[in-house]
Amino acid sequence: MQQSRARLFKEYKEVQREKSADPDIQLVCDDSNIFKWNALIKGPSETPFEGGVFQLAFSVPEQYPLQPPQVRFLTKIFHPNVHFKTGEICLDILKNAWSPAWTLQSVCRAIIALMAHPEPDSPLNCDSGNLLRSGDIRGYQSMARMYTRLAAMPKKG
Amino acid sequence: MMSDDEDMSYDDDEYPPYDDDDDQGDYDLEEAESSRGWDEDGGSGELVEFSLLSGRDIRARVDAAISEISSFLSVSNEAALVLLCKHGWNVSRIHEEWFSDEAKIRKSSGLTVPEDSSGGAEVRGKGTFFCGICLENYVHNNSINCSAVTAACGHVYCENCWRTYVNTAIIDGAGSLFLRCPEPSCRASVAGMINSLASDENRGKYEDHVLRSFVESKKTIKYCPAPGCEFAIECLIGDGSNCKVCDYEVTCNCSYRLCWNCSEEAHSPVDCETVAKWILKRNSEAENTNWILANTKPCPKCKKWIQKNQGCMHMTCPAPCKFEFCWLCTGPWSEHGEKTGGFYSCNVYQEAKRNCEYNEQERIREMAKNSLQRYTHYYERWNSNRLSRKKVMADLDELPARILDKLSDIHRLTKSELQIITDAWVQVAECRRVLMWSYAYGYYLPENYDQAKKKFFEYLQGEAEFTLEKLHSLVEEELLKHTEEGASSGEYLRLQNNVFYLTRNTRDYFQNLVRALANGLQS
Ligand SMILES: [Zn+2]
Ligand SMILES: [Zn+2]
Ligand SMILES: [Zn+2]
Ligand SMILES: [Zn+2]
Ligand SMILES: [Zn+2]
Ligand SMILES: [Zn+2]
Ligand SMILES: [Zn+2]
Repeated sequence: MQQSRARLFKEYKEVQREKSADPDIQLVCDDSNIFKWNALIKGPSETPFEGGVFQLAFSVPEQYPLQPPQVRFLTKIFHPNVHFKTGEICLDILKNAWSPAWTLQSVCRAIIALMAHPEPDSPLNCDSGNLLRSGDIRGYQSMARMYTRLAAMPKKG
Repeated sequence: MMSDDEDMSYDDDEYPPYDDDDDQGDYDLEEAESSRGWDEDGGSGELVEFSLLSGRDIRARVDAAISEISSFLSVSNEAALVLLCKHGWNVSRIHEEWFSDEAKIRKSSGLTVPEDSSGGAEVRGKGTFFCGICLENYVHNNSINCSAVTAACGHVYCENCWRTYVNTAIIDGAGSLFLRCPEPSCRASVAGMINSLASDENRGKYEDHVLRSFVESKKTIKYCPAPGCEFAIECLIGDGSNCKVCDYEVTCNCSYRLCWNCSEEAHSPVDCETVAKWILKRNSEAENTNWILANTKPCPKCKKWIQKNQGCMHMTCPAPCKFEFCWLCTGPWSEHGEKTGGFYSCNVYQEAKRNCEYNEQERIREMAKNSLQRYTHYYERWNSNRLSRKKVMADLDELPARILDKLSDIHRLTKSELQIITDAWVQVAECRRVLMWSYAYGYYLPENYDQAKKKFFEYLQGEAEFTLEKLHSLVEEELLKHTEEGASSGEYLRLQNNVFYLTRNTRDYFQNLVRALANGLQS
């Protein structure tokens, strides 16, 4: 508990110091609870998520960084490895491939990489996975782009 | 009738023989042998043979495998261990893969680092460094008691973080056998650091993971399921194809008697499948049927039914088994990874699903058909015999102090006379077990089963039960009257004689029952 707090505090200071270091990621710690974080990440370019801003919610366990944080999308996203209803993410580094050398910042980067490189096998979102697996790339992209526009872009007007 | 197949009779040391200090009576071994349970005569075509392995025996085999690999491939013992764990302790497979593509097997096992630097943790004493785990900058001077530790791959973290990393991994489980460098881009094996960084207690745990990994990789070796028992049982001969259930019953060093085939407690005369069905039935009646059915599977290693706890497909069977497997395909978890299509998918399962091998729904429907009432009838009888047997087993442990010593004092009995009483208790325990399972057998007899056979079964079961009740009350109640000061020895000897013959009768009745069930009730 003490260790996780100290480590999160370090990450907090790091984020404050290098606010502009990675323009695609904006990490914000909850005002009253250092174990709760939010992040805004930009959809990677040349993907159907380009132009969208996606919000992630982090819940950090007391055993952090020996155990991974729980992360989910708060913004709706159509992606094979993200549960469409709950925003749950299936990513190996958040499970059995976790290492304490990952930080919240680098987890965000890994999630951005996942957005660009979906893993269609064993998907959390079957519709999305099936489109990709059947080779219907255009179908997948148009669905994903539609949801990016509906949920991850500022409303016009 | 005695068969000469030793494995089917109780071993001499199965129940500690009542032992008093003076070694006077040469007690009649043969009489004692023949009255402990019964032997299956004839029938079995194959021979099944077991040997018991202590923790030390297993360690010796592990060491032999490690030294074979390390000397043959000229790698460190730690590297050899990683290779063995990673490849199911298959020495020849490692040789083969090593000589066909050394770079590839090194990479998949995380042994990319030259051997000369794999000696383990190196504590560096100079300069400054940044620890990527606690995110702390360290300047080496004596006021900070946190020093840099460099892994063989060259990655540096502070000693505190290394220790926590290694120790937590060991506590977490067998995954620590494949512990990798924390640096995400590196993932070199850090097995060489375990010894210097793990606490004494966790070194022991790590050792345990190593031994378990070895045992789990061997189809012919299983750990004894009794809690706290460190013995394993090796099946030397017999692959089960033609053997009868009872052939697989074996008694561990801890005196636990189990069915090697399904790892449940010994359950003849019914087969493993009936036991598994019954246990599932019992659990599912106790809780929400459908939920259990949808969320339990037998552990592929020990066959105990275990529940899926969370969303994750990584299942770990509870102690003592601790086998880790994939929920989808029930294959060993250690084999999941690149081979099964990476973390995301289980190819084995996808393949099987295409072939329609998974019929969870069917089981649910089948269970629902059976009426609760009928089940309750059989369950109550099964359970009362189970509880009764449990008590007998407990009483058996205290038999010398509670009864035998007193009888011996009052009536001046010889060892072989006292053995008659012990044998009777052992017989009662064994018969309770058989009777208990005969109720599961009865439950699974189909509704439209041959009426004559059903009658025959119920007749044999009834006879057996009747004599058992007589014997049981004789040794549980009557006997106590003769342990009081001033009890008549003449009357005691009459009782002892009754006990002797009733034990024999009971054995015969149960032998008939067991034989009839084994023959499918052909009268
Ligand atoms: Zn550190
Ligand atoms: Zn490394
Ligand atoms: Zn045992
Ligand atoms: Zn069995
Ligand atoms: Zn198990
Ligand atoms: Zn999982
Ligand atoms: Zn699998």
